[in-house]
Amino acid sequence: MADTDAGSDTDGGDATGGEGADSDPGDPDDPGDEAEHGSPSAPTGGLVVPVEPTPTLRATIAHAVEAAVDDGFSTIHLVEIASWRNGDPGADDRAASAERVLERAEAWANSDLDDLDERRPQVTVATELIGADEYLFGPDDYVRVLAAYAEEHGADAVLLDPEYTPVGNTTLLQPLEFALSNTSLTVETAPVTRPTRRERLRSDATGKRFVAMFGFSLAFYLVLGDPLYWFDWVTGVATAAIVSITLSRVSIDVEPAIPRTPMRVLRGVIYVPVLLFEIVKANVEVARVILDPRLPIDPTLNRMRVIVGSGLPLMTLANSITLTPGTLTVRARDSDLYVHSLIPSARDGLFDGSLERWTRFVYYGRASARLPTPRERDDCAILQGPDATEELPIAAGDGGTAATEEDNPSVEPHGENRADRGEAGATDE
Amino acid sequence: MEALGTARVALVVAFTLLGLFFTFVSMTGVLRLPDVYSRAHTASQADTLGAGFGLAAVALTIGWEAAGIKSVLLLFFIFVTNPTAAHAIARAAFEEGTVPWTEGDERR
Repeated sequence: MADTDAGSDTDGGDATGGEGADSDPGDPDDPGDEAEHGSPSAPTGGLVVPVEPTPTLRATIAHAVEAAVDDGFSTIHLVEIASWRNGDPGADDRAASAERVLERAEAWANSDLDDLDERRPQVTVATELIGADEYLFGPDDYVRVLAAYAEEHGADAVLLDPEYTPVGNTTLLQPLEFALSNTSLTVETAPVTRPTRRERLRSDATGKRFVAMFGFSLAFYLVLGDPLYWFDWVTGVATAAIVSITLSRVSIDVEPAIPRTPMRVLRGVIYVPVLLFEIVKANVEVARVILDPRLPIDPTLNRMRVIVGSGLPLMTLANSITLTPGTLTVRARDSDLYVHSLIPSARDGLFDGSLERWTRFVYYGRASARLPTPRERDDCAILQGPDATEELPIAAGDGGTAATEEDNPSVEPHGENRADRGEAGATDE
Repeated sequence: MEALGTARVALVVAFTLLGLFFTFVSMTGVLRLPDVYSRAHTASQADTLGAGFGLAAVALTIGWEAAGIKSVLLLFFIFVTNPTAAHAIARAAFEEGTVPWTEGDERR
């Protein structure tokens, strides 16, 4: 994933000595401004601007137009990256509102270009909604989609809105910048600041989050305390206020909505006994295996691509899988869960996807829960053993423990705990 | 606190024994299983039911009082934190490049 071939070649130019040592000798630019992060060294094809309805979108568009004119971009691509997936409940509404944002941004860009009258014809504005055919999880996914779009349209620079937050309200900007730096795209963050921060704090969205967080913390406080004692109400209100002022924007990243949030809680309550039953059932199976003198385990690492959406639903599913004995979520890489299974029956249960369907039921309702199993979708793979269908994605490969043993041959004959202590001692030398 | 009914006492005893049983299984698993991943399974999971039944017994003994409700809350937090901790351990091992033990490997 870390292809830095095109992005990093300008840096080494000074050291190798001036003329033509670089990969593109025809480049007429003076080397002086190559160190500057914002200015690409060659006139380029397109500038991609990811768009979200942020307070700084207007200023970012204005900056994008300036940059396009100054640096000679022929096209400004305004793209909105979908944080939903087609077919989700409400996906059509979200796509429609995304289209409206894109239209508005396009109108702004065109009017800015018109104001520059003399160079107007050189720059065109394109808009597109991308990434709606799959769930996108982390910055890596966003960058992958962006890079694919950029390649397809011959664009080689990205301008980021400093307030760009495609998922909820968690800031993705720094991870995005970092992930983009691994691509060949030139990245710049628009040097604009938001008008006033207060405006957003007072907004409806944050108000709902505040109320939800306040109610939840107050209820929790009163459950721990005594709801009939006035003093607990006073301290509870104060505590809940502090908690919700400081944390409501951090803890709640999806807007609470009146029919949806209580329904989710209700369906979550239905889910709890189901999960408890699964836990007890699987626990008995695992207990039988552990107490069996032959210890008939067959552990493998498996990969399963789940369709639940990012954030809380994914966490719910991953934790449910881990809670169910015999399966353990080792790694969540975007929508791929790497799950270690202890016994084949636990693995089969995992691939049947009942927990995935239940998670979808809790978060999206009964209609969305009808879904082919991961096995039917071909979204699962065994990574180890005779049935393995994919390579183990462990970077160290067969290195890992073997490598450390080679480093410390003297501790090899000891038991595991000894070896650990020996290694700790060896590193002190 | 009034004397507990016989049925309730029986249930409390049953829960306690079940909790002990699953804690015992958990301990056995940690000792017997071959590598960090499979041990993380049993260390956290059998323990979830071990602690779960223990706390259920506590809640049943105390009854519908503040402390009883708190033990139910404790149960809830165990169910949230336990898989998170197991995941953290397994993920740390994974990022270190530890290859999970498979059948046919030597027992460590």
